[in-house]
Amino acid sequence: MTLVAGVDIGSTTAKCILIENGEIVGKSLAPVGVELVKDAERALSQALTESGRERREVTVVTGTGYGRFKVAFGQFTVTEIGCHAKGAHFLFPGTRVVLDIGGQDTKAIKVDPRGEVVDFAMNDKCAAGTGRFLDVCAGALGYDVSEIGALSLGARHPVKVTNTCTVFAESEVTSYVARGKDPKDILAGLYGGIVSRSLSLMQRVGVEPEVTFTGGVSKNEGMVRTLEHRLVLKINVSPLSQYVGAIGAALYGLERVGGIPA
Amino acid sequence: MITCGLDLGAGTTKGVLLEDGQRLLATGLAPTRGNPVEAGRRVLERMVEEVNVLPDEVEYLCTTGGARYAYPDRHLQVSDITASGRGAVFLFPGTRHVVDIGSQSSRAMSVSETGRVVRFKMNEKCAAGAGRFVDRCAKYLQVPLDEMAPKALAAAHPKMISSVCAVLAETEIINNVADEVPLGDILMGVFLSLAQRAYILMRNVGIQPEVTLVGGLVRSEAMVRALGQTAKVAVNADSRAHHAAAIGAALLGHSRLQKLGHRPVALSAVEV
Repeated sequence: MTLVAGVDIGSTTAKCILIENGEIVGKSLAPVGVELVKDAERALSQALTESGRERREVTVVTGTGYGRFKVAFGQFTVTEIGCHAKGAHFLFPGTRVVLDIGGQDTKAIKVDPRGEVVDFAMNDKCAAGTGRFLDVCAGALGYDVSEIGALSLGARHPVKVTNTCTVFAESEVTSYVARGKDPKDILAGLYGGIVSRSLSLMQRVGVEPEVTFTGGVSKNEGMVRTLEHRLVLKINVSPLSQYVGAIGAALYGLERVGGIPA
Repeated sequence: MITCGLDLGAGTTKGVLLEDGQRLLATGLAPTRGNPVEAGRRVLERMVEEVNVLPDEVEYLCTTGGARYAYPDRHLQVSDITASGRGAVFLFPGTRHVVDIGSQSSRAMSVSETGRVVRFKMNEKCAAGAGRFVDRCAKYLQVPLDEMAPKALAAAHPKMISSVCAVLAETEIINNVADEVPLGDILMGVFLSLAQRAYILMRNVGIQPEVTLVGGLVRSEAMVRALGQTAKVAVNADSRAHHAAAIGAALLGHSRLQKLGHRPVALSAVEV
């Protein structure tokens, strides 16, 4: 029995997953602050507490995410691209394309039937189309990003958000609010913009079913619907979609110590 | 004869009154706050009061800036690129290259000796490199805008910003604050990052001395220094260059008025 941990330190949240015998046995998720080393430690200890396990039972810890080098107590680090591919394959073995929209970047990853990365495209230069973009625009609408998920579903007349830049889009949202536009329609317009940007990344690696949507933004139902509508495809979204990177990291660690991959 | 130039910008509305196309009688400024018409009227009213003339003595009014078509009481409108080229050469006759950093866009242009724009490049798609970025930094670093420059100029080791994106740069700056990077170093990094973006536009156009900076940031000594350092050129700066586009509009209004050969419709009776 090998207990392995994957710790994913993202730009916005820290996630930890514990895997034993091909089963997820513990998890944690918390916002990150400025002391990433402590955030990483806390992520692991919370997952252990949640599952009633002890630190000494963990055979190997693997770090991933933009703060992976802050997982100071880990044995390995792996890029989040590899982890998202592996994690998505674990949850949905038919996955061929992963779309990961995180707090600060967006990636489209093409994977082979074994869950290995074939190709990827990413935007990490600019906040447009990332979780950060949603955060800022939700704020301009007077909502927290966690509240807006299903809000756009009844939109009838989506507005057109013409700005790509987050800063300018924020002003555009404010001016739509001032003109009395329905927040539903504004949100639908914003999702349309984000999805367009995501599709252009996905087209760079080639769209092919099944598509698995991961990262914090995949929790947003309006985004999922908009993406499905534009792709004309049902997409995979797991209740654990925010943990996909951490799952992949845990599985990498397991392979490295010669355990049985799931 | 008095002409008025109104520059209805995204952040602020600037105005000037010009006598005989030569002498600056008054300058005015008001935040646009999403209402360029009101801001423009307020600026004009204040300038007219200041120089103590009758409103109808302002014979001709020319608008420029993003909202130039929104302002109804005008005789003419000109693009902000055309206007700031003219304005820059009015202030510094040797100008051959103009850098204009506005609140929502930035541009570089080469101009002829009469101030006619020969070539230009602009960025209006991205907030990095626009004045808005400085406003946002001032806000979350809690430094009043006019205190930014003196603090930045005292920087010993300016902290460069690696993110191109204005939003991602925010996170980077907040991390720098957490890492106890001195405030002055962070602030100078903000100006240098803006200068870097402007320099890309400048290079694309071709830099030719003299270089003149126009737009609101010209009042910031740190911005002028950062631009000079980055582009390795001397930069003309004058606080009136905040009004360069308004000056250019007033000048273009004046030359149009002379070509007209007759008295135009009084401003109070202009119908658009």
